[in-house]
Amino acid sequence: MAYLSQYQYYENAGTAPTDKNWGSYQYVTLEDVVNNFQLMYSGNHSLINNEERYKILFHAKRGIQELNYDAFKEIKALELTVYDNLTFVLPSDYVNWVRVSLYKDGWLRPLNENIQVNSAQSYLQGAGGTLTFNADGTVVTDTSSLDTERKNGQQNSIYLNQQNATDQIEFNSQGSWYADYSIGARYGLNTETANINPTFRIDKKAGVINFDSTMLNENCVLEYISDGMEGGDDSQVSVNKLFEDYIYAHIEYSILNSKFNVQEYVINRARKRKTALLRNAKIRLSNIHPGRLLMNLRGENKWIK
Amino acid sequence: MTSFFLLIFVKKKAMINAVRNTVLAILNKNNYGYISPSDFNLFAKQAQLDIFDEYFLGYNSQINKENGRVSGTGYADILKGYEEVIDTFSVTASLSQTLLNQYSAPTAATTGSDYYLINKVLIYSVITASGNTTAIGGGNTQLIDNTATFQTDGIAIGDVVSVVLANSVVTNLSVVSITNQTTLVVNVASLTTTNIPYSIYKKVNLKNEAEQVNHSKITMLTKSMLTAPNTTYPAYTQEGDTLTLYPDSISSTGRVVSQYIRYPKDPKWTFVSLSAGEPIFDQSQSDFQDFELPEDDVNNLVARILQYAGMSIREIATVQFGQAIEQQENQEQ
Repeated sequence: MAYLSQYQYYENAGTAPTDKNWGSYQYVTLEDVVNNFQLMYSGNHSLINNEERYKILFHAKRGIQELNYDAFKEIKALELTVYDNLTFVLPSDYVNWVRVSLYKDGWLRPLNENIQVNSAQSYLQGAGGTLTFNADGTVVTDTSSLDTERKNGQQNSIYLNQQNATDQIEFNSQGSWYADYSIGARYGLNTETANINPTFRIDKKAGVINFDSTMLNENCVLEYISDGMEGGDDSQVSVNKLFEDYIYAHIEYSILNSKFNVQEYVINRARKRKTALLRNAKIRLSNIHPGRLLMNLRGENKWIK
Repeated sequence: MTSFFLLIFVKKKAMINAVRNTVLAILNKNNYGYISPSDFNLFAKQAQLDIFDEYFLGYNSQINKENGRVSGTGYADILKGYEEVIDTFSVTASLSQTLLNQYSAPTAATTGSDYYLINKVLIYSVITASGNTTAIGGGNTQLIDNTATFQTDGIAIGDVVSVVLANSVVTNLSVVSITNQTTLVVNVASLTTTNIPYSIYKKVNLKNEAEQVNHSKITMLTKSMLTAPNTTYPAYTQEGDTLTLYPDSISSTGRVVSQYIRYPKDPKWTFVSLSAGEPIFDQSQSDFQDFELPEDDVNNLVARILQYAGMSIREIATVQFGQAIEQQENQEQ
């Protein structure tokens, strides 16, 4: 890709969307990666030759996917309101979640994942537990009690959603209102997860996040990671420049590793190069510099109590 | 002051005549080795094809030598010489669309020459505008389409207009000016009728190379999540003289352009009349065709033709002589 002029960068040369090129200099496109690899690392005088382009493309994309899973810090966020069904459908490019939060009263409240199952499939049962089948032999399904009660707010929580201080019946004494505080009643409580916020559990196969009933009509913010494939639009796939050399090394290693009759020392050399470059790129991306360290160290003399 | 322009026409000496003279001189020992012009033309064609073929083998052999560190650079760069010769047969032409995403491989009828090797197939990544002409004008230089929006589409001077005027041949015209939303002016007065299908492309968009994929892989490739062909990474398969482009959306006139290596033209030693039983060489004949190989192949051509001619007249000594010359040439390489 050619370098952009300032006008192209800031205003996309006057065409909408004008913000299209903002920040684009951080990235190298997939098209460039494949093109550069074919030009510089593949050919008659290179370790790799006579290799189909689709193999190079495959390994380039796989490399970018792997980087998106753990090396890049490119977290996407999606806010949706949770309605009656208490579900949040996972985004189309969702691979894994980072954090689920409730956005309320100007605060972003991180939610805890419910370790218990909160949704289940159910089969329609007759007397004696007999099942009913459709004409095509599939069993007739029903809504599970687990789901029904969760949605109705009848499900008890292990996370203090019930019986906490705010749920106690208050009483008046000499003009002031008081509430019981359950002192000593929560032995064994997992303090790490104990809070008043709603809980959730991700049903990966169903592609939804199931919430408890306290999430009804609330705004949920899902922070998640994708695989960087941009919905299959190859022209939009890109990789941070800090990882550019790593991607070339990754493609080279992947091809050599699966190619017949390549000497082991050549494969090992490629593997070491790839690993070292990944490590370097991760360090670079972590952006450790004196200014940041200084700010962190300023807290060392802070009085805790 | 009067300016004088002196035009000097240097007529290239026909290589084919020199080759023929040499061949006849060798064959004519004992006066029984004469070959007719038509036989010579046949042998010449065969010899040229043989040597042309060997350029590709020699090219590969030279690469192996370079990888073995037994080849030099600069004047010792033999590979460059091979490339230069092969590139003289390079042709870039738009392929003729036969049906939807199927295009005809280069042929004499569609691109002007048959292909020896399709080196690459490029596609325009974007069609800037397309449609059918609705009127003619401007001395057949105007492309008029009442439904078009040329200015809105961003058509610019120099853009490529692909049309099929006759016999499936794609003609590429160039935009000279944009009159208004529905009218363009092209560089050649060729739009003589209406309802001509056209597609307009920007030259910078001729950048995506289609990869040749064999039939055993293409089905899996199209099913692949990560590597299915798309307009950024298109692919094609070949069946007979038909190239099938993937994805299917590549189905417009002129969208597919091929750079290929054509066969050398058939050499033809032409003559005007017989003088004392001898045909007199005349290169001004319309069907005259010289060898297309470089001059340093004269020895090779002579050696090859001698072998064919020797076989023809059952003169084994001639065949052996031709083989000896050829062997010597090969050793020198």
